Parts: sequence; structure tokens; C-alpha cells
Amino acid sequence: MRGVRKSYRVGHIRQKLRPVLKGLDLTVPRGEVFGCLGPNGAGKTTTLKILVGLLRMDAGEARVLGRPLGDRAWRYRVGYLPENPYLYDYLTAREYLEYVGRLFGMSAEARKRRATELLERVGMSRAADVALRRASKGMLQRVGLAQALVNDPELVILDEPMSGLDPLGRHLIRRLILELKDAGKTVFFSTHILSDAETLCDRVALLRDGQVTAAGRLADILAIDVTHMEVLVSALSVEQVKTIAPELPARNLGERWRLEVPEASVGQVLDKVRSAQGRVLSVLPMRQSLEEFFVREMAPGQAEGAWEG
Amino acid sequence: MGGLKRVLAVAANTFRETIRERVLYNLVFFAVLMTLSGLLLNRLSIRQDEKIIKDLGLAAMDVFGTVIAIFIGVGLVSKEIERRSLFPLLAKPLGRDELLVGKAAGLAFTLLVNVAVMSAGLYLTLLLTGRVLDLGLLKAVYGIYLGLVLVLSLALLFSTVTSSAVASVCTVSVVVAGRYSDVIRNMDQVTKGVPSPVTEFLYWLLPNFRNLDFKNAVVYGLPVPFDVVALVTVYAAVYASVVLLLALVAFRRKDFQ
Ligand SMILES: Nc1ncnc2c1ncn2[C@@H]1O[C@H](COP(=O)(O)OP(=O)(O)O)[C@@H](O)[C@H]1O
Ligand SMILES: [Mg+2]
Repeated sequence: MRGVRKSYRVGHIRQKLRPVLKGLDLTVPRGEVFGCLGPNGAGKTTTLKILVGLLRMDAGEARVLGRPLGDRAWRYRVGYLPENPYLYDYLTAREYLEYVGRLFGMSAEARKRRATELLERVGMSRAADVALRRASKGMLQRVGLAQALVNDPELVILDEPMSGLDPLGRHLIRRLILELKDAGKTVFFSTHILSDAETLCDRVALLRDGQVTAAGRLADILAIDVTHMEVLVSALSVEQVKTIAPELPARNLGERWRLEVPEASVGQVLDKVRSAQGRVLSVLPMRQSLEEFFVREMAPGQAEGAWEG
Repeated sequence: MGGLKRVLAVAANTFRETIRERVLYNLVFFAVLMTLSGLLLNRLSIRQDEKIIKDLGLAAMDVFGTVIAIFIGVGLVSKEIERRSLFPLLAKPLGRDELLVGKAAGLAFTLLVNVAVMSAGLYLTLLLTGRVLDLGLLKAVYGIYLGLVLVLSLALLFSTVTSSAVASVCTVSVVVAGRYSDVIRNMDQVTKGVPSPVTEFLYWLLPNFRNLDFKNAVVYGLPVPFDVVALVTVYAAVYASVVLLLALVAFRRKDFQ
């Protein structure tokens, strides 16, 4: 997507345009799991809806699997799960999936087989023949995911796939996403749950206020300012620790101490620990968690575009 | 080719929806009405009762059919657009045109089934009260069905351009106005100041249900020539197609927010 812009019309009598996407640039590499992160209202859903053709963009250019949006051919190779999917509630899960299969031009037999297989995969075999009007939120989410996979898509676009699911369901979706990745598929999903992104994504893009503020490999984004090392030591008394590192943040973890040491003085600190008969357990670069990054990045007044270029 | 298959898939699913959502329950009322009137008239044994049964049956068919056409045309389509049930489907190879045409076809089929069952009910009543089965009634039934298709297409158009509440009001107004379009045509004679080109234009714009109405002619044994039937068929087909085309244009441009 290049320079995508979108405004919603708001208000009834005097309609005003409310810009939601303000020149969004985004590239999802094939074969990767790509997370679209951002607080509520950042424009994630809007972005995905434009991609699948539910909304028209006001300006910009977008391609899906290398093809322009207007082209219908890519739709055979893409799966989409909307946010809080609303599925026909007068159908059962199996009927819904078979109907979707029919839209893809699958034969009756292929549809049946695929529906059974997918229901199994999303753990809905037992509720396959219950009308969806009686289904719980979690069940709908599972069927929603299954319907996105009917055509064995190369690119799967998921809008908040974990929302409304219990821990079991989330685990299942995570596993499914990783299975898709192993099968060489591309998964593009939006979420505001950072731990999901952290465990699943190869790359992420951070959306804020209709723009991408950071994008890239998770490791790169998070390691971008490793300035401190975490040194874990043991067999030292409080006094010893105080003399070794008088100004450094240190935390007592029972037998052990955790010291945050600037990179430059790591050698010095290690020498001191050894000469005090202490034991060095580990020295690790202090990567910030995605959450820390997110909070800093989304803080108001933060210089915009800090990660661009 | 694939397009036709998808249209059929949507149509079949739409029909299934009307069955599951119990739209055809109106048939029960119709059956009750027919049975009651049959029994009652049998008791009274008036000479004119055959005409009364036919009259009542056809009128009920028209009214029930119209109510159902508005109900499903606005209800099911607006519901579909206002709830988010189309989101997953529109990301599939299903085109928006195909979707709307499929919906229209499925609903038209529902109306056909509805009218067919009601006709069967009417004939059954005639049979059970010992009358001759007058196949001429089918011409009136056909006219009624054409009218229902017009109602349906209007309901679809309004559903694609406004909310369900406004769409119902608009559809009902246009249908009622279409039934009394003669009044509108003669308005310039009653109220001064309304320029006759305006009323004339309105008259042509509104669906002309009177031309489709063979009920009286059939009941009172007046001739309904074949070329008249053919002519109103063309009229209904053209009218419904144009309305549906407008709906397609509106639906294509729609943003699903
Ligand atoms: N139909 C709409 N009309 C007006 N504003 C909308 C509409 N849908 C979303 N918005 C606004 O657009 C912004 C982005 O919404 P959305 O894309 O849903 O964000 P996200 O999915 O990241 O939470 C929000 O500020 C939201 O209030
Ligand atoms: Mg969202």
C-alpha cells in the first residue's frame, strides 16, 4: 500500500470528512506473519477493509499479491476474517462453510470435504450442525477463521483474530497461524494484544493515528536501542552489591541480584563481582519488550516519524 | 459461467434464508382464511359464492403477497447491509452485482412459491366446495406475481440507498401511490396550480399496478387477450430491470463501514 488515504463522512446534516488514514505506506513480505499493531481507533480495521475491497480509498495505491485491487483474480487466493465476524445466523457452521465453498466454485464433494476438515482444524466438529444464532462469540470467531481458509488462500488477512476468545481458543488460533506460516502462506493480522504479536510475528507495523510510525522485523525494532545489559549475579551481600555498583539500578531476586549495567562498563562490573567472590550467572542485552516500546511510541507528544526512513 | 453459478448459489441461499426465517408463515393465514370462507359460503349457498371465493382469494393473494414482498425486500436486504454479514462474503470472488442479482432472484423465487401455494389453496377451496376449476384464474395470479416482482425490485432499490426504516416507508408509499396512480394523473383537474407535466411524469414514473390487475376481468369472465398479457409482461420486466439496475449502481458504490 502506498500513500493510502481515507476519510469517513460523519454527521448527518452537515457532513464533514474525518480523515482516518493519512497517507499509509505498508508492505507485507510474502511468506511471513505480519502484525498490524496500534491502539483502538488507529485505523487497522479501515486498512484491512480497504485491502479486501469493502471500502474505497480516497487516494493512494494498493496491490494484493502483486495485483491491483480492482482485479478479481486475487480474491481466489486471499482469505479474510472481519473484526467480530457476523455470519448468517440461520445457517449452521457446516452450511456456512459449504456456501462459501460454492462461491469459490468448488464441487459439492470438495465443499463437503473442506468443511469437515476445517471444522476439525478450528475445533468446531462437535458444534458443526448447531445454528450459528446459538453460537457463542468464540465459536463465531472460529467459524469466521474457517471461512477465511476455505479456498486454501496464499494470503490470510485477519482482523483481531484473538478477540473474544478464551485462552484455549487463542492458543488454537496461534497454532493455526503458525501452521499457515509453515505451509508457506502469508498472514497479515491486526491486533492490539502485544503478546500475540510478540510470539507470532516476523514483522510488525505500528499504526498510530492513520500512519505507520514504525515497521520492520520485531527483533530490529525492539533491539534498536540496546544500551544496557542485564547482569545476573549471586553469592553477594547487600553491602558488596552497593560497593560494586553504587549508582546502578539493582534488584534483589532472593539469592540473586539483577543489575542493569551500561554497555561500556560491563567489563568493569564483572571484574568487581569476581574479585568479591561473586558468581556471574548471565549477561544479556536488555531488549525492551514490545509493550515498553509500544507505550513509549504511543505516548502523546512523542516526535512523529522517529522510526521512518 | 462462474458468475452464473455464484448468482445461483446466492439465490439458493436466499431462498433457504426465507424458509428458515419463516417468511412463508403467511401461507398459514391464507389457508385459514380460505378454509373459513369456503366453509361459510358453503353453508350460505348463495348463487354468487363462487365469484366471492375467487374475489376474496385473489385479493388476499395480492395483499399477502405485497406485504411479504415488502417485508422480505426491505427486511432481508437491509438487514444484510446494515449488519455486517456481507463483510466475509464480499472479500470472496463474489461480485457485488452477482450478490444483488442473486438476492433478487432468490426473493423472487420465494414470492413465486408463495403465490403458487396460495393458488393451490384457492383451487383446493373451489374443489372442496364443488366448483369447476377455472384455469382462467391463473392469468390473474400471473398479474399479481408480476406486481410482486415490481414491489420487490423497488424494495431492493430503497434498501441499497437508505436505512431499513426509510426504505420501508419509501417502498410502502410508492406501492400505494402506484396503486392509485390514476388519482395522481387526474390531480391537475382537482388542484389547480400543479402543472400537468409533473403529474404526467409521476404517473409514468410510478409502477402501474392497475395494468397488471386482471382480477375483476377474470372473476367476471371478461376476456383477457393474450397480447395484453404479453404487453404487461414486457412492461413489468423492463420496469423491474431498470429499478434493479439503479440498485446495482448504488450498491456498487457503497462503502461498507
Ligand atoms: N463508519 C465510520 N464512520 C466514522 N468514523 C469511523 C467509522 N469507522 C471507524 N471510524 C473511525 O476511524 C478511526 C479508525 O477506526 P478503525 O479502523 O476501526 O481502527 P482500529 O481497527 O485500529 O481500532 C477511529 O477513530 C474510528 O472512530
Ligand atoms: Mg479494529
